[in-house]
Amino acid sequence: MPKFQPRRVLTGIQVREAMRRQVVALEKGIAARDSVRHLIKYKINALLVTDSGVPCGVVSKTDLLALMYAGLHPQTPLGDMMTGPPVACFPDDLLDDGLEMMQSCGIHQLFVIGASREQVVGVLSYADIVGLLYRYCHACRQSTRGRSPADALHLPPELTVQDVMSTDVQFAYEADPLYTVIETLTAKSLGAILIYAADGRAVGVVSKTDLIQAWFHGVRPDAPAADVMSTPVQHCRQNAKLIEALQLMLLQDVQRLFVSAGTADQISGVLSLSDAARFRSGSCRACAAGRLLT
Amino acid sequence: MLARDIMDRQFHTLHPDMTIQAAVQAFREATRQEGKKVFGMMVTDDHGHLVGMLSMYDILIYIQPKHAAIWGEMEELDPDRLFQEQLRRVWSVKVDDIMTAEVVTIHPDAHLLVIADIMIKKHIRRLPVVADRQVAGIVYVSDVFHQMLHTF
Repeated sequence: MPKFQPRRVLTGIQVREAMRRQVVALEKGIAARDSVRHLIKYKINALLVTDSGVPCGVVSKTDLLALMYAGLHPQTPLGDMMTGPPVACFPDDLLDDGLEMMQSCGIHQLFVIGASREQVVGVLSYADIVGLLYRYCHACRQSTRGRSPADALHLPPELTVQDVMSTDVQFAYEADPLYTVIETLTAKSLGAILIYAADGRAVGVVSKTDLIQAWFHGVRPDAPAADVMSTPVQHCRQNAKLIEALQLMLLQDVQRLFVSAGTADQISGVLSLSDAARFRSGSCRACAAGRLLT
Repeated sequence: MLARDIMDRQFHTLHPDMTIQAAVQAFREATRQEGKKVFGMMVTDDHGHLVGMLSMYDILIYIQPKHAAIWGEMEELDPDRLFQEQLRRVWSVKVDDIMTAEVVTIHPDAHLLVIADIMIKKHIRRLPVVADRQVAGIVYVSDVFHQMLHTF
């Protein structure tokens, strides 16, 4: 019996096409605080830790947050806090399998290794997968880009942000200490949390990046969330086209957009790059429905 | 020939608390004063101790949009305007946030051949000369090159 599998935009594509070749690696003796500079400069979520050039572990923003939460010394060497060995795949593995692995391991990046484990040739992240999806849909002949509304009527319906967004939005209040924020982020495996003012308006966002940057600048974990939040809230309308929301995230180097139903301070959902990458169906229904069989 | 003989004693430094905007202006000013292009500067704290190096490359890596390849494909957008908007968001980042803190330094008594060896093996084009934690000067790859090959 032939096995029927739904075909998606990313089906059949290899990891090498989506991976980034720039791998940021640091020796295990380097202090945790110094590694923050590399995370900020390269806009990455985790870095590879090496022992005399040989990869031995990974330190992610989450690991650095745990250090901040526990009040451990910022000079703690990376080797003492890394998790290892790095979870890795090969450049000719299928992107679908890579995504599967990232999801099941609960990680945001997969290192790509060459012929030997010592040779890391790239790194796969949700942002780069979404970048590939975006380029695919942008170049698609079925896209409504540049067409008149009358023409576009005959094209498959495009997905909107609310088809993919998550409605479970975690939040904290401006006056809440960073401890509470870190607890929620860790418990829910999230990258950022919405911050409300006492009157119930959404006023800002605290991401893991904001938190480790604050830690780097010596902010104590009992400081209020208002001290480190980024404003304004990066958001889009829930009936906006998915492709436009993806474009906004890729252009602004943000990993999530909050979704509003009406005005900007009423948030109804959140769209993250990892949601978009896991959705895998591109930005309209043509690929999802038209090519169901492999 | 030792580091102390070839090092440049006229050098410019940045402070870790300076913003990137101030650092960019310092690069421009240093280039004007030296009459040659300055690509990297030492970062020193209030005591004159070396805490890092900041090169133009560090700043470029940071301000470069992560998905710049995609920017080029969006013909309906104006990349220049978008980039200017993005720049406004990062002006306030501090030198300390993106400088390279792991700096290789040499002693004033280091020999020319040792300096050349370090530069080649570690891909470094400028080496701070440090004695008793104080910066004494800086050696550029061009100084090493001209010194080693002056007989040609």
